[in-house]
Amino acid sequence: MNGGPTFVGLQRWLQRLRVMTAKELLQLSRDTPLMVFFVFAFSFNVVMGGGRSGFELKNAVMHVLDHDKSNASRELIGRFKPPYYILHGVEGRPEEAMRMLDRGDVMVTMDIPSGFEKSLLRGEPAAVHMQVDTTNSSLGLLAASYAQQIIGEYGSEAALAGLGMDRQALEHLPLIREEQRAWFNPNQNNAWFFSISELMMMTTLLTILLSSAAMAREKERGTIEQLLVSPLTPMQIMLPKVLAMTLVVLIGSMVSVFGVLGPVFHLPIKGSLPLFFALTALYGFTSSGLGLFIATVTRNLSQAGLLGIFLFVPIILFSGIHTPHEGMPRWLHIIVLFNPLAHYIDATYSILLRGAGLDLIWDSVLAMALLGGTLFGFGVRRFRRQFE
Amino acid sequence: MNAQRIFAIIHKEWREIVRDPLSLTMAFVMPVALVLLVGFGMTFDVQNVPLAVLDRDGSALSRDYAHRFIDSRYFDFNGYLADQREISPLLSAGKLRAVIIIPEQFERTLRAAQPATVQVLLDGAFPDRARIVKGYISAITGAASRDSIAEYLSRTQGVTTTELRPLLQPITLETRYLYNQGLKSDWSVPPKLLMFILFFAPAFMTSLRVVREKELGTIFNIYTSPVTRVEFLVGKLAPYVAIAMVNLLILWGIVLEVFDVPFRGSVPLFFGSGLLYVIATTCIGMLVSVFVRTQVAAMVISLFITFVPALQYSGLEIPVASMGTEAQVIAHLMPAMHFTRIIDGSFLKGVGLAVLWPDLALLAFYATALFGGCFLLFHKRVRQ
Repeated sequence: MNGGPTFVGLQRWLQRLRVMTAKELLQLSRDTPLMVFFVFAFSFNVVMGGGRSGFELKNAVMHVLDHDKSNASRELIGRFKPPYYILHGVEGRPEEAMRMLDRGDVMVTMDIPSGFEKSLLRGEPAAVHMQVDTTNSSLGLLAASYAQQIIGEYGSEAALAGLGMDRQALEHLPLIREEQRAWFNPNQNNAWFFSISELMMMTTLLTILLSSAAMAREKERGTIEQLLVSPLTPMQIMLPKVLAMTLVVLIGSMVSVFGVLGPVFHLPIKGSLPLFFALTALYGFTSSGLGLFIATVTRNLSQAGLLGIFLFVPIILFSGIHTPHEGMPRWLHIIVLFNPLAHYIDATYSILLRGAGLDLIWDSVLAMALLGGTLFGFGVRRFRRQFE
Repeated sequence: MNAQRIFAIIHKEWREIVRDPLSLTMAFVMPVALVLLVGFGMTFDVQNVPLAVLDRDGSALSRDYAHRFIDSRYFDFNGYLADQREISPLLSAGKLRAVIIIPEQFERTLRAAQPATVQVLLDGAFPDRARIVKGYISAITGAASRDSIAEYLSRTQGVTTTELRPLLQPITLETRYLYNQGLKSDWSVPPKLLMFILFFAPAFMTSLRVVREKELGTIFNIYTSPVTRVEFLVGKLAPYVAIAMVNLLILWGIVLEVFDVPFRGSVPLFFGSGLLYVIATTCIGMLVSVFVRTQVAAMVISLFITFVPALQYSGLEIPVASMGTEAQVIAHLMPAMHFTRIIDGSFLKGVGLAVLWPDLALLAFYATALFGGCFLLFHKRVRQ
């Protein structure tokens, strides 16, 4: 074969790819509820997602039984303040406080004994009691340790004041102070984090489910037989489905970035947007590859959907959006290496917020490409074996 | 309502389910696998935070201070940095979450009874985690600072540090952890996964059932049959409610036996409210199914409207009271939050109907209202 026919062959190959991709897009666009959902998912939904609260101690409702009713006890209570704590009240009997905990009206109750101020003034130890609802163990622990910190600080200030040391005197003590700075998001704006993570969740949901559905539907309806008797190769049948989905999420991401992240949340984009969109295209390929793989091991939409969810749930939960990677058990770290979303998230936050370039995120890019390539390759192979 | 016709629909539906054994197997295997995987894997605790120290002083005191971080279980020490320029790429790539910079003359300043200031740089890209890490670091620095003062005062005033400590820390906090004394996240997460999984799984499975008949055209058999709308809906829903109830029972057993979570409440209350809850969630799937025209749309939409709220607006991650106003409104519009409260009440808290009746009443309301919604939206006539 010389260069000519190969070139014609390539042209024909690309043309088939284009026609089939157009077919996929047309099919999607004719599903009105689905199209409405697309628009919603990448616009209003990202706005709503940006307003979420993260996992932190916030507005922990606290009820105090103040048996001392002194300046010292009021001063201490005053230090439990928003955003961490909300004061529910300072009256009542212990049984009532217990009932509030049972009902879930309050998360913490604190008991300040009578004679609290007197003990402090005399330099004697005083004990404060606290009850914490730990049905949510992580938050319960945070609530207790923040309280420990507040009370510790208050105690040593009171003690130093008792020793006759005022603010001036503190300058002549060997204190260790901190100057804290949070890089990349100095005002700790939750919306920057959650709007991006919402966008990535939507991308994942759509690519996995829609690409597996696109394939499973052809199997269920039997239209796959028509495609198989056509001159199309398995690659030409499967690749367009991936391309169509990638294109859809790419457009969706652009809508979110230019329509929501910038105008609504004033996200300062530190890194290169083209790099981010290229990464999104790669992620689209990887997770549609997963979707197609699902479709090749199942027979109908219901099976494909169930298997899709089964993979989707851990992909989302162990991506780093909802739970921190660092806290996960060891065995899970190995599983997370195979989670394409975890790599996409690492790389995306690095590009958009931390201003990283390809030199710093190449490992995530490589991992996504390997995963996507392998899944897609497996998919095409299984497809060939099933039908040829 | 004609019981015979309902049974006929149930029978037909059941046949279809049984003839797709892979789907049926997955309907039971998937929830079990998820509760095990997520129950053991999911923890919200922020620990092993990758941290590095840039020690510009290199003195005994600075090393002591750094060791408070190195020895803490909350941090994963990634070594000492040699130069400030190393910081930026490591934070940008997400390899480090926090860097402590100890200034030159740290020891000399403290020995001269002057306050010393360390710099803390945090990766703020994950704001909630950054705030928690900030809290850890402040707590460690606070303790170091108090020790430093105690050491100084004992030197200048001639008292021992053991005598001084209680003087400097006059208030002790005695904390009692209620309901989950061991602060086990194995006790805290798995029970709530019942709410989580039984929100999206039944909704998802049901969402395909009517629209599938629409796609295949078999719905016309129903349109032309004498079966009424209520009979059809009840017959379609019943098998999926049954599957979900069996799942609830299996998952309940796993939470008790595998995760060893105590169940301190009332079994009838728990399963009664569980029944109302799965009726509500299957009806959500049914609503989607009568509303859309393709199975693909049904899959995507049903998963979206159940998964996201079950995760974010249910009290699984954070209590509803800690959410923002809008999120609280969304949470109250969903049955998930009420079932979460019943789960917390029944497993760990051991409270009964006296406390939980409002949640039970609301679940009953959701089950009725959602079924009513299906009834109103489903028509036996083709609408153009």
